[in-house]
Amino acid sequence: MGVVCVYPYPVPEEKSGQQVVDTIQKQLELLGAHKSGNFFVDCESYQSNLQTATQQRLLHLFHNSEQPATCFSVLDNGMCLVSDLLFEVLILKLAEKKSGKDSYYQQRKGFKVESKGQRYELGDFIIKVGSVIVASNFRGILIEVEYSPCVIPSECWNLMKEFIQSFMGNIAENPPAHIKSKMDTVYTPEDTIQQYLEHFNNFRKATSASVPATPNR
Amino acid sequence: MASASVNVSVEAVQEHKIQEVTLDGQEIYIPPLSMSENLAKLAHKIDFYKDESEDKGKPTSEGEKEVEEEASKAAVQPSLWPWDNIRNKLKAALTEMSVLLDVLNITKEKRYMLLDHVSQDAPEAKSAIQLMAKKKGLQSAAGVLLAGAERLKKSQQEMGTRPQNEFHIELLKLRQNWRLKKVGKTILGDLSYKSAGSRFWQGGSFEVTKNTNIANGEGDNMASTRSSLEVVIPTELEGSAFVQVEVKTVEGSMNLTSAILRMPHGLGPYPSDAHWQTKLEAAQNVLFCKELFSQLAREAVQLKSFVPYIVVGNQIISNVFPNVQLSIVLCHSTGKKDKKSQHPGKVEHNHVLEHSLHQLLREVHFKSLNMSVPHPVTATIGVTKRRRMAGPEAISRRELLEMTESETLLEQIIKQTRHAVLRLRTMKVIDAVAAKFPDPQICAHWSCLNSSLESNVRVIITSQGYEAMRPTWQSLYLEIGVNDIKVVTRERRRIILSFEEKEIEDLLLWQISQHHIAICQSLARLLSWQYISHSSATGVGEMEDFATASSVLLVSPNSDKVIAVRSGPTTGLHVHMKSDAKDIDADLASILEAKWYNLTGTFKEIDLNRIDGRNFATKLELIMASVTRKR
Repeated sequence: MGVVCVYPYPVPEEKSGQQVVDTIQKQLELLGAHKSGNFFVDCESYQSNLQTATQQRLLHLFHNSEQPATCFSVLDNGMCLVSDLLFEVLILKLAEKKSGKDSYYQQRKGFKVESKGQRYELGDFIIKVGSVIVASNFRGILIEVEYSPCVIPSECWNLMKEFIQSFMGNIAENPPAHIKSKMDTVYTPEDTIQQYLEHFNNFRKATSASVPATPNR
Repeated sequence: MASASVNVSVEAVQEHKIQEVTLDGQEIYIPPLSMSENLAKLAHKIDFYKDESEDKGKPTSEGEKEVEEEASKAAVQPSLWPWDNIRNKLKAALTEMSVLLDVLNITKEKRYMLLDHVSQDAPEAKSAIQLMAKKKGLQSAAGVLLAGAERLKKSQQEMGTRPQNEFHIELLKLRQNWRLKKVGKTILGDLSYKSAGSRFWQGGSFEVTKNTNIANGEGDNMASTRSSLEVVIPTELEGSAFVQVEVKTVEGSMNLTSAILRMPHGLGPYPSDAHWQTKLEAAQNVLFCKELFSQLAREAVQLKSFVPYIVVGNQIISNVFPNVQLSIVLCHSTGKKDKKSQHPGKVEHNHVLEHSLHQLLREVHFKSLNMSVPHPVTATIGVTKRRRMAGPEAISRRELLEMTESETLLEQIIKQTRHAVLRLRTMKVIDAVAAKFPDPQICAHWSCLNSSLESNVRVIITSQGYEAMRPTWQSLYLEIGVNDIKVVTRERRRIILSFEEKEIEDLLLWQISQHHIAICQSLARLLSWQYISHSSATGVGEMEDFATASSVLLVSPNSDKVIAVRSGPTTGLHVHMKSDAKDIDADLASILEAKWYNLTGTFKEIDLNRIDGRNFATKLELIMASVTRKR
């Protein structure tokens, strides 16, 4: 496991997402990267169903194709649980309504976010170009770059910055917000998921911000 | 109505309660509680929901609430790991689930436990009648126990007088070692490894019979006593067998066609009147060897590799290195026919590899039965601990793929053979070189921490008497693997050697020549001779067959003598010395400084054999010391 940085790639107004993805992929192939399959990162959200009207707690369930045997559960206060895939079955059981009693958790429909796309390998780097889909609508592009040999962000940040800027331009001026506070600690797959969560939340907010705009017309 | 025949029942005295007395005088008793009913009654009395401070009946829902409470607590106590409570509860829940699964599995079989209705408590009877009943019950119980004690006493007395080899006593001893069961009138036993995890198709069941022709009147001589119990072993397991593993050098790499069907030798057939334990053990060994060989043969046929394996009859041959052959033979002697030994020559059987083969097969058996904890007792399949932890540890895809690769028995034994061959060869070469060159001492320190696939050795070359000069030590570290040898030299250079013996020898010779030069340098420092030049790859002079020669130039403190040393792995060691020119003009001699004298002059070689000294270092020191003049 190396150090991973996730950045959103802005989609210009006149172009479609697919075109931008194709451009990036061509650029990567020019650099010399070769395709090594597909990848996906998806997130489902669950809401706690308490009778007493205290604050509703959210639970996000992530899967990452890079760690196929694992599922990550992130709470809204930032705590993350790394567990086997069977945990998902447990959550489903908690979300079932049984014998008149309400379930403990409720799945929030229409909140499923996914980032899917191609996976490229170039030497020690692994680059993933993903199109983000929120409830079957295309919302944006997320690019994930992983540098496998190093596990401490501060030691390889300069190298990664240079590499990312070579094909993405000046998006990677600063390290991702989540990593900034942990530059000198060992990087874990949980941190990747926290970065994705942040971006997915941004995409979701963008969705809900744009939806009230349309009825006003 | 036909006259009822009188029922005579012979049974223990019952003190059971009479439920009803019918009109014709028959008493109907309340049937006593069987074992399962008793257990059910007791279980009914346990209240699962009482006396537990935490609700063990619902761990998961409690766990969720705990998550939220703990989450808020975590902010206050950042040092406490928030999932501890949950983890403990989930662990307890897993234990309970395993127990429940086991109970349900056993109950399903209906052999040891049954699900039954819970019976109600019988109503209390009057105390006087209870007292009478209890008294009667105790009296009959005492009677039964006393009768039993009498019988035991009598049988103990009989045991002393009975001959030791009576059938039932022998049967008891047999049962202590082997699994027996009675089928109809015959007693059958099982000597296969099925209960230990083997999946071999051939079963090993033997029959136990009584020996009817016991020689009477020979009870004194224990050696010739025949046991009254005989075992009949299936014909294919008769005799004795072992798996012979041989590693030999053959000229010509692909000589695999010289496989000859081996006749067993060195194995004696067991006499037919051997003790049953010996016979059974021999049969079990035959079965084990057969399973081992059939597994190896199957893998040899199915395995795709660069080197073809040949399976001929009872022999498997493969080339581990060019010119080195590994042959695995199943030798099974049934002892029926008289066989003339067709191979009077000695066969070098490798006991270590044979033992490895046995261990590997036992490991396969073990893995098929045992899985890593925790798991319910009745579970038949499971995952390894590493795979189970793959989820929580977020193992990547590449590592998961690596986990699925596994090696066959044949591959494993070939790897071990390769390593054994490499190790023995390296040992031989180092010892040969050390014996051939007494001048610098070669010392090999073999590590005691090694495995069947990897060992390492540190070779140190020193001169006797000059070991205190650490820079002169040439220490090499050799790591002997399966296919090659990795060497790390003193300068931290990594060299990879193949299986050829000559490469190790060349390496050692080269290191010896480097050692000589190191000696020169250290001695010069000690005796205050000056270093003029050093070249580790001399381009002049005779060419070496491999590696390069090194040379060094030293000049004495008075600058009047120069010593030149050239040392190479194949050209050997040469020492030349130059003295000041004595034939300078007398006119020049007065104006020239002494240091200009050593510009001219010729080098002359010194014959080291004629100089006193145990080794080169001593000789060189003697030369340098004797030639140095006081200022």
